[in-house]
Amino acid sequence: MDFFVILGPVVLLFIVLGFVTYAIFFERKVIGWIQNRVGPNQVGPWGLLQTVADVLKLLIKEDVIPQKADVSLFKLAPIIAYTPAFAVLAVIPFTESLKFADIAVGLLYYMAVSSITTIGILLGGWASNNKYALLGGMRSAAQMISYEIPLVLSVVGVAMSAGSLNLTEIVKAQQTGVWFVLPQFLGFIVFLIAAIAELSRTPFDLPEAESELVAGYHTEYSGFRFAFFMLAEYTYIFAMASLITLLFFGGWSAPFGLTFIPPLIWFIFKFLFFVFFLFWLRATMPRIRVDQLMEFAWKVLLPLAILNIFLTALFKEIPVLSQFY
Amino acid sequence: MNINGEFIAFFIFSVLAIGGAVFMINLTRVMHMALALAFTFFSIAGLYVLLDAPFLAVIQILIYTGAVSILMIFGIMLTKHKDEDKVAPFTVHKLLSLLGVGGFLAIVIWIIYRNPFFSTGEPQAAAFKVTDLGKAMFKTYMIPFEVTSILLLVALIGAIVLAKREEKK
Repeated sequence: MDFFVILGPVVLLFIVLGFVTYAIFFERKVIGWIQNRVGPNQVGPWGLLQTVADVLKLLIKEDVIPQKADVSLFKLAPIIAYTPAFAVLAVIPFTESLKFADIAVGLLYYMAVSSITTIGILLGGWASNNKYALLGGMRSAAQMISYEIPLVLSVVGVAMSAGSLNLTEIVKAQQTGVWFVLPQFLGFIVFLIAAIAELSRTPFDLPEAESELVAGYHTEYSGFRFAFFMLAEYTYIFAMASLITLLFFGGWSAPFGLTFIPPLIWFIFKFLFFVFFLFWLRATMPRIRVDQLMEFAWKVLLPLAILNIFLTALFKEIPVLSQFY
Repeated sequence: MNINGEFIAFFIFSVLAIGGAVFMINLTRVMHMALALAFTFFSIAGLYVLLDAPFLAVIQILIYTGAVSILMIFGIMLTKHKDEDKVAPFTVHKLLSLLGVGGFLAIVIWIIYRNPFFSTGEPQAAAFKVTDLGKAMFKTYMIPFEVTSILLLVALIGAIVLAKREEKK
């Protein structure tokens, strides 16, 4: 058995944990900076150990399970929520050689496996036996089901242009032509909005709207089970930022022939830009209303995604434009 | 019988699939049943991967584990939290249902084994690509595909009409 096959995922898990730790710190710093505050600066040099201290606090907290809760499901829910979040990383190619599974339907695999997390969130909300948790779970499921459809349909244009569902092939198709963010601009906008909604982040963070729902589906959770839900959320940021880099920004390929910078560094640059964009958006946008949320998905994003498919199919047949599609 | 990774994976997935189905029937709370069913759907996707059909596996997860299970759980969430099913007594009606279902299963298996589909030599599953599926669907079987989609559309509109009529009463 190949050494990389066994140790690779373990190393990736630690990289993801490190990413989550510093993404939370970075998020607080960036939002502090945008809101003209200092942000965390007390624990460790420049506050660098703030998240480490927070996680340590969560781990040594008392494990509270409500008396009326469905105990087995209450314990199972964080596991069902986190496992798919890490499993989707298996098909993400970080560079041409650094990847774990190169399956032919990598893009669909991502979409399929990530939908399992919704079951964990729903079960967590239901098993808590708390009306705020239940409402948070319902909102979360409704939002994730609605936004998954424009998310999947918006990448159909990319798959049509690349002629493959394999993520490595999609990146290779962009190396010969332009990055898909230009010809697939409509698809990119739909994908970006739907991705932010799938991640349940501002302006789509209705499942955990603290002003109306206490905390959302994880109201009754504390300690390391709560940490697991949070970890799943930030692991999805890692996965989604990687996916958007691969689909629309050419993955590890270098722009303007700047090939002296290694491919992995390019991937990290593009990836970090999207992560920063999410934090920037959180500090800028207000939360949208719950009745606008569903209407926006079904009446705006879905028709736009279908229009994008039609336009891609049309432009593929026009002689001058077909070189970009 | 040689024991390799594939055999172990097959064993795990089949135990999960059958176990999920048995649990689904024996559990008393509806939410637990829905979750057991989701496990069965997921394990069947694992079996598809072992059979060199990753596309089918992914679609199985996307539709059954993702969409169907979530819709079921979503509906069940709004019912009573502590509601439990009582085990119904064994009646003549149940015995007749068992015979009917058993007979149907026997006929289906008989038809499957009579089908020449199974005797056309070694299947070439590993060489099959997603593009082949697309070509078969949109070129060779274009008309059946379109007719099926119209049928599904009619069923969809029919469901909406039925649900709307109920609302008025």
